[in-house]
Parts: sequence; C-alpha cells; structure tokens
Amino acid sequence: MRKSIVMKVLGAVMAMSLVFSAVVIADETEAGAEVSYEADVNGDGKIVVGYISKNFTDPFHAPINARAEEYFDQAVEDGIIDEWTGLLDGETDPNKQIDRAADCIAKECDIVIFLPAEAEASDPALVQMADAGILVIEVNSKSASCDEKSIAYVGSDDVQAGNMLAQWVVDNCPDGGKFIHCNGVLGNSAQIQRTEGMHEIMDEHPEFEMVGDFDTKWDGNLAADAASDAISKYGDELVAIICDNDGMSSAAQKMCNDSGREDIICIGVDGVEVPMQMVKDGSLKATILQDGVGQINGAIEIVEALVNGESFDPAPVIPFVLITADNVDDYM
Amino acid sequence: MSEQTRDYILECKGISKAFGGTQALKDVQLHVRPGEVHALLGENGAGKSTLMKIVIGLYHQDSGTMVFDGKPYQARGPVDAINSGISMIHQELNPEPHLTIAESIFLKREDHTGIFLNKRKQNERTQKILDDFGFPYPADTLIRNLKLADVQMVEIIRAVSTNAKMIIMDEPTSSLDEQETQHLFRVIRDLKAKGVAIIYISHRMAEIYEICDSVSVFRDGEFIGTSALKDVTNDDLIAMMVGRRVKNQFPKVECPIGDVVFKAEHLSGDGFEDISFEVHAGEILGFSGLVGSGRSETMRAIFGMDPIKSGTMYLNGQVFNRKNPGDSIRQGVCMVNEDRKGFGLCLHRSIRENTSLPSLPERQKGLLINQAREKKEVEEVSKTLLLKAASIEHTAYSLSGGNQQKVVIAKWVMAAPKLLIMDEPTRGVDVGAKAEIYSLMSRFAAEGMAIIMVSSELPEIMGMSDRVLVYHEGRISGEYSRKDIVSGEVTQEVILSSAFGVA
Amino acid sequence: MASSPRTGKVTTQDRIRSLLGQYGIGIVLVIMMIVIAIMEPRFMTPGNIINVATQISINGLLCYGLCLCITTGGIDLTVGAQLALTSCIIGQTMTNMGWPAFLSILAGVGVATVFGFIDGVLIAKFNMFPFVVTLSMQLVIRGLSQVITGGRAVMLTNDWFTGIYSNKFLGIPMPIIIFIVVTIIMYLMLHWTKFGRYIFAVGGNVNAAIAAGVSRFWVIVGVYTISGVLAGLASMIYTSKTGSAQSNIGIGYETDAIAAAVLGGTSFAGGIATIPGCVLGIFIIGLIYNGMNMIGVSSYYQSIVKGLIIIGAVMLDMVMNRNKH
Repeated sequence: MRKSIVMKVLGAVMAMSLVFSAVVIADETEAGAEVSYEADVNGDGKIVVGYISKNFTDPFHAPINARAEEYFDQAVEDGIIDEWTGLLDGETDPNKQIDRAADCIAKECDIVIFLPAEAEASDPALVQMADAGILVIEVNSKSASCDEKSIAYVGSDDVQAGNMLAQWVVDNCPDGGKFIHCNGVLGNSAQIQRTEGMHEIMDEHPEFEMVGDFDTKWDGNLAADAASDAISKYGDELVAIICDNDGMSSAAQKMCNDSGREDIICIGVDGVEVPMQMVKDGSLKATILQDGVGQINGAIEIVEALVNGESFDPAPVIPFVLITADNVDDYM
Repeated sequence: MSEQTRDYILECKGISKAFGGTQALKDVQLHVRPGEVHALLGENGAGKSTLMKIVIGLYHQDSGTMVFDGKPYQARGPVDAINSGISMIHQELNPEPHLTIAESIFLKREDHTGIFLNKRKQNERTQKILDDFGFPYPADTLIRNLKLADVQMVEIIRAVSTNAKMIIMDEPTSSLDEQETQHLFRVIRDLKAKGVAIIYISHRMAEIYEICDSVSVFRDGEFIGTSALKDVTNDDLIAMMVGRRVKNQFPKVECPIGDVVFKAEHLSGDGFEDISFEVHAGEILGFSGLVGSGRSETMRAIFGMDPIKSGTMYLNGQVFNRKNPGDSIRQGVCMVNEDRKGFGLCLHRSIRENTSLPSLPERQKGLLINQAREKKEVEEVSKTLLLKAASIEHTAYSLSGGNQQKVVIAKWVMAAPKLLIMDEPTRGVDVGAKAEIYSLMSRFAAEGMAIIMVSSELPEIMGMSDRVLVYHEGRISGEYSRKDIVSGEVTQEVILSSAFGVA
Repeated sequence: MASSPRTGKVTTQDRIRSLLGQYGIGIVLVIMMIVIAIMEPRFMTPGNIINVATQISINGLLCYGLCLCITTGGIDLTVGAQLALTSCIIGQTMTNMGWPAFLSILAGVGVATVFGFIDGVLIAKFNMFPFVVTLSMQLVIRGLSQVITGGRAVMLTNDWFTGIYSNKFLGIPMPIIIFIVVTIIMYLMLHWTKFGRYIFAVGGNVNAAIAAGVSRFWVIVGVYTISGVLAGLASMIYTSKTGSAQSNIGIGYETDAIAAAVLGGTSFAGGIATIPGCVLGIFIIGLIYNGMNMIGVSSYYQSIVKGLIIIGAVMLDMVMNRNKH
C-alpha cells in the first residue's frame, strides 16, 4: 500500500522533471547557434577567472579540480588570462557556494566556472554572479536558472547515464529478476536524473522487479550493507544492484563477490579510480564513466574562445562512456 | 506565652508519603503558631525535610491535609508556596554565582518597566533591604564574590523580603560562625516580633534552646511529639530522637600518644601564614577558629589541593612533598573535605564505588579490580561505621546526609591513612550519627592513626581533642591541652577569645 | 531506594525493577525484532542475524569511544574524520607505497591514536571545551586526509587486507570477532579496572575524583586516545569492506555512534554508562538500518523513521525509569 503511494509521488516527480527537461532540450535546439561575448566584462583591462568547485573530497571531482588548477596556473603564466582565483572549495554545500560567488564578485572576476552542488539551492550563486555581469560557465550539472543566466553549460546528461545503467542490466540479465537501487543523497540533481533515466528503461521491462530503493547517500559502506541485506532476503532471486554512483556499485560488488555472488551485476556512474581498477582486474564487469576531465576541458575551450573573441557552442554535451574490460585501459 | 491561645498558622494532619517501597512519612502532624520559632528535631532521614518539601509543594503527600492561615492549603510548587506566604531557606545553598545580590533576591519576581527589567529600581529597593539588615555589601555585588556565610544571609534576606507569614530555615547556621549566628538570631527575633512564624531545623541543641519556643520531634518518618522547650531537657530530646538515651555524647577514649606522625614548619599559603604544628600517633588534634580564619585553607594545602608558598612538612620524619591529592594518599595522608557533595562523593555512583575509589590500586588483581574482595571489604567497613543502606550497590544519592558522610569517612578508612584530616566531620549529621562518628575517631586514634579535626562546633572540639589549636586571621592564636580543658581551666569563652584574637 | 532500609533485604521484585531500569532499552530491542520479524519473516534467518552483526561492527567501535568521552562529560566529534584519515593512510601506504598490510594498518591506527591523544591533551591540559577541540580537530584531520590522497580514491587489492571484512573464523565473519573482542575488552576496562572507575568518578564529580587522588589529566587523555584507537580500527574494517580508501567517507558517522551510546543509557551529564547498554544501543541502530531495508521502507522515509525510533526508545526508557527518581 505504502509502496504504491511512494511510487506515485516518485512518478509525479519524474513526470515533472521530464517535462522540464523536454522544455530545456527544446530551448537548446532553438538556440543551437554559436554565441560570442566580450570577455573583459568590467572593462578594467584585466581578465580574471574564477573557479567554484563542487568539493575537494569526492574522488570524481579530484581529477576535474586537478585539471582546472593545472590549466589556469599555466594560463596565468602564459599571459592568456591575467589572474585566477585558484580552486574555491564549495564543500558540496550550496550555502558555501553562494559565499564563494560573493568572493568572486568582490574579486571582480570576468569569467567564473561553476560546478553547482544542488540544482535549486546553489542557483542563487549563479544569479548573483550573472546579475553582477560575470560570464558564468556551469559545468557538470545545471542549476535551476542555468539556461537564462549562464552563458554556457558543459556537461553530460545524467538521464542518459541512468538509461545506460538500466540498459547494461537488461542486456546482461536476459531472464530478468529482482534488483535493488541505491540512491545518492536524495535531492541531488544527479540522483534525481540518474534515477529517472534508470526508470525510463526499467519500467519497460516487466521481467525486472525493483525490490528495494535505498537511501545510501553516495556512501559505499551503506550500499554494501544494502547489498548484504538484499542477498540475505532474496538470495538467488537477486540479479542486479543499480547504484547512482560507482563508489557505491564497487562497494556493493565487492560485498557480493565476498559472499560468493559474483553473478550479481552491480553498476554505477562516474568512473572513479577504484571501480575503474576493478573493471581492469575483472572483479567488476562494467562502470559508466562520466568524463569529468572532458567536461572541464569543454569549459576551458569556452574560456579560450572568450579571451580570443571567438564564438562558441553554448551547450556542448560530453557523452558518458560505458567502461568494460575492453576499453578500460584507454581511460586510465 | 500570649500566643498560646491563638489559632495555628500551619496545621498538617495525617500526612503520609512513600517513595517506592520506603515509607518516608507515616501519618505525621505538625502545628505551628504565628510568631513562634518552632524547632523540628530528628535524625537525618527522620522525615523533617520530606515534610517541609510537602509544605512548599516540591512533593505531594499520598494522604493528609494542611491548613495554612485559616484556609485549606496545598502548594503546587515553591513559587505557589511563596505566593501563599511560605518561604524556605534550603540547607543546600543553590546560589546562582553570576547574579548580583539584587537579582538573586528578586529572582522570578523582578521589577519591570514594560517588558524591560528595571535594574536601577530593583537595586535601590534591594539596597534599602540590605541596609535594614546591616548587610555590608552593595546590591550589585556578584554572588560569586561573597563568602558562603554571606550567601546564606542573602538567602535569608530573600525569604524575608517576600513578606512571608512563615519561613522555613533548614540548618541556617551550618556555614555561619558564632558572630554571624548571633546576627541571624537578632533577625529571627525581629521577625518573631512582627508575627512571622519560623520553622527551624537544626542539629545544634544549644541553638535550639537559645532561639526556639517549641519543638516537634520526628523519628523514622513518625511524629513523636511536640512540647514547649522550657519543659524538656536536652537528654529528653535526644532520647525522643534516637529512641534511646545516648550515654556519652563525646565517647573520647584516652589512648597512649605515640611518636610524631606529621609535622608542619612555617607553612604559608593563600589564607594562612607561618603555621607550625605537629600531630602524634593516637592523637586527635582539634583546629578551632572562625569560618574563613584559614583552617580549611591550611588543610586543603597540606592535602595537595592548593599550593603552599613556603614552609616544610614532614611525615614520619621524612620530608613530605605532594603535587596533588594522589601523592598525599599514596603516602598516607587523607582528608575528609568539609564540602561533602562538592568534593566528597559522586552522588550517582554506588556506595561501593565511592568507598573504594581512593584505595583501588591496593585492590587490584593483575589488571583488574578484585571485585569480590572489594565488595567484602566495603561491606565490612560499612558495617563498622553502622551505615544504614539497603545495599552497597545503591547510589550515594539515595542516602541521608549522615549516611553520606559515613561513606566519605569509610572511603578514607579503606585507604588506611597515617594521618586523617577531617574538616567539619559532623556537619549536617544528626545526633545519633555524630556520636557514632566520634567513637569511630576514638577507635582510629587508638589504632595509632593521627587525626586532625577541623570544626566550628566548640563542644565537639573540646569534647574530642587531645590538643586544640585556635586560628585567628590565618595564624595560630592559641594552643590548649586536653588536661586544661578537662580541668575546666580552659572554657569555651577562652577558646572563643583566641578565635576573635582578643586573648 | 528500591527496598526497605530497615530489613536490608533486596527482593526479587527489586531486582527485576533495577534490571529493567538498567537495561529497559533491551525491551525496545526485543519489540523492534518482533515487529520486523512479523513484517518480514526472512529477518529472523541465521544468515540475516549474522549479516546484522557484521554490519554493526563499524558503528559499534565508534560508539564505545564516544561512550567513554561522553561519560567523562565530553564528546568526540572527530570520529568521522578519523575514519577518513586512517582509511587514506592505509590506502596510500599499502597500495601506492607497497607497505605490507600489517604495517599500513599499524600506521593508520597509530595516527588515529595520536590524534586522539592530542585531543585529550588539549582538553585536559588547557581546559578547553571538548566540543570545541574535537569540532576543530575534525577539520584538521579531514583536511589532512585530503592532502594525503589529493581527494582521489585509492583501491585496496591486498587479499589479506580485504579479507579482514570478508573472511570467517570458525564460521563467524571477522568483523563480528573484532567487535566481540573489543566489547569484552571495553567491558572489562570500564567495569573491572580502576581506570574505568576513574572515568566514572571524573564524569560524576571531577572535584571529588581529584580529592580522591584521581588524575583528571590521564583519565581524559586516556579516553580520547582510546576513542582514537577505536576509530582507527573501525576505519580498518570500513576500508576493507568497501575496498576503497578515500577522504570523503565517514561524514556524519558520529551521529549514529552518539545515538547508540545515548540509547544505551550513557548520560550526557557524565558519570553514568554501561557497556552492555551500549551493545543494546548499537544493535538498535543496526536494526533500524537493516529492518528498514528488509521491510522495504522507502528511502525518502528512512531518515524520519530513524529519528522517531530513537526519540521513542529514549522516551520509553525514561518512562520505565521514572520510579527511580
């Protein structure tokens, strides 16, 4: 009984976000043409670039931050830009990100690269900077008014990633069966959209039954516990564990393997070090790489175009990549 | 007395109260007249405090009725009681150290101008009250800057300032010296003249005879009787309280005095200066003097709780050094602190754990405590000290004041000290338990322990000490031997004179 | 007093009442088990019981450390960050520097121990508030773990190390064995050694403890150091379990550990705690997670359910204890 109410709520949320993303997509196709801006927005003769990270602690963001730091340090040295803020720590906290945005305004930045932590809550950071005239490039995920306020969005489509998660399970368990889903922190846009994408496919496959939908908070430990709980409850009926990120899927897979259940298909999104390594050594069959470095490179290209006065694509999509034993070496 | 014919201000009839399985009060009564000082007597745990807590509404009686000022009365809590005209000064002072005197006196009934406190007006009103009492501090003095005796006075002033028709005083003189006590008595006589009734709880018989008009005696939760004080003798009252006659209030046993155990030479520290004395095995050395004259400060410093600025100490002929109480205990110097709840007990731990705490290192078997042995030894020492407790596993919190004090003494007895310092060993302890503690002291002395007793009660100092040292303003101002006290050459007056520095 | 002071006899009724008062929370645990078992019959299978026992080991170790700190009147908010730091040190030394597993664990747990010791010294020597000290040290410790790994995750492939979580000894998973051994040690330490008594004394009345010759300094330093050791051991299990060392783990883990300690009767006023009580609290927290997963409570409601169960359990415990004013 309770389950069905929850499913309805979930359905409503999904429907709403579907409509929303449809609008967004329509918008993008219309505005598909290239755009250009004056880079020195405040006219002080200096180009100052800001960088507001999502956080410093998540393994997915570590290489993104590292790439940004490497590039902009070099860019200042080479005279491409005059100054940059260094990596500002968003601490996965919208409140902190809004504070960092105020710092960027105070520092008279012309261009800011911004990786929002939350779709709604982090949005004031974007609005504040855009209203101050700063050219904001959002990377990795969108905040609510991204389309109106930012000059560009470089990212991947998390709904697509969700589709890929489900498709992998469908392809590898031809007979169907029971599976569980481990959520990220509820309300994170990546959690919402990946979950949505997963359901898009899974709802069309009645041979699969979702028997658990866990609040595992991006936490590998909690996902491993959810896996062992599900194994002890469903035994052989459990065929797959779909996770919103691969920190969780790798921990879940390890739990399955340790319990002698290598047959359970665990899959998640991101392509951080540990799951990649596990794919390489064969203990995890696949993971889905979100090309974070590709995203930040996309943003860097836009910065370069701005500085050179060239036009650019305001919405490049960086595709997700399915990583298996066949191609893992290309991405490590 | 002329009031004899007048009606009672407070009548309690058939009051009973049980806590769990313990019957704290059994069908007791109390009749208090307006304008009289009515003493409540009884050993700790006799039910006096429980009855008073029912009167001020902290507890609810299981049965029984009360009439106050001619009307049926039942307080829902202390504030309700104050509004009805009953104030209580508790034995355990509960001062808020961060308040000023004025704030403390007007707590919960502050002067307001609109929603804001009117501090100026409040201070002026307080100052007037303080001046009336001859209390020598400004109204905005912080409570934490007052001496304990002055805090007590503030409590009394607060109770008086509520225009109470009846004031309950629970051991009001326990932290007052002689002079302050006399001042309090003047205040009580003034109140009496104004028709205020006072219920006076105390264990000091001399005080009761001095200030009270009538007395009600309780024992084991039962009402024993009420009589006018002029009609009963001290021995009668004690017999009523303990249910038997206490033959000798000060069971001092003469025993041979041995070698010097502890010697202090020219000790100086915070509150005392140039103190030299020695105490022998088997000797009880009494320290008398006014509260705040530096006796307790000296003892705290010897025990290692406070620093010593200069001077040397010797224990059994060897130089005695200590950085902290732990060092002292290891070398055989122990101290019963005057503040039982502050420094004596962990109230929410069991009697067993409290008793064995300082001597745990000796009760180990390998890494672990030998709990069987610990239990046996604590039970033995509890038995020796006639501790009244259902089980040594009960918390110290569940005991009466006298029994708590016995736990404190028990823990130092377990540590088998060479020198035992006892600071106010019978404060807040009832008559029966007092006599028991005195005979324990005699016994320890007979076993060769050296004992230092600090006390504000002259009778016990004179009754128990082999030698008496008197303090005046941080220095020793007199020394008297037992021989001279017994012969009557040294009287209370002589000792008091040296305490006041006039000898 | 629960029995007559005159006769001095303790009746059976008194014994039951005091037992209920002490471990009344056990009833909550039993009720929870029955409710879950009715809603999901597979809950009571031996497999799932072992499963729960394995899962609680991490929170269990953290809970003991917090129990000790809370009993002295303090708190240790560093445990979550300690999990991350030890994990990063183990990962960095074992995978990237090729140290033997044993040495890596020693280094990781050792560093956690040192940080616990530093917390204790700051609190005891300089009289700083435990809340402030551990709140700040938590930032230092997490920062350090980020510096060590640069925010990246490190994979643990050493079979011996990952076996710490998955191996069995006499059919019992290793985490359960570690948890039982630590529980026995903690029980003996708190209830059978003088150090345990000193912890109660310092927490119950620090002045009386000092006047009884107890060294406040060593007691405080001792409990925070032990909390560090336990956090280090918990991190070893965690890292072995997920096979991954990273700096963003353990955020908010102090919450569950504090909740377990409080459910187990640890008093924030200090001076009161029991290890058997903590064990019950740890199991209740573990059952909340496992039970909700087993019953299939939606992820959106799990957090609410958890909070309500904790409040309800503590309230029930207070009601049952009310007679012992």
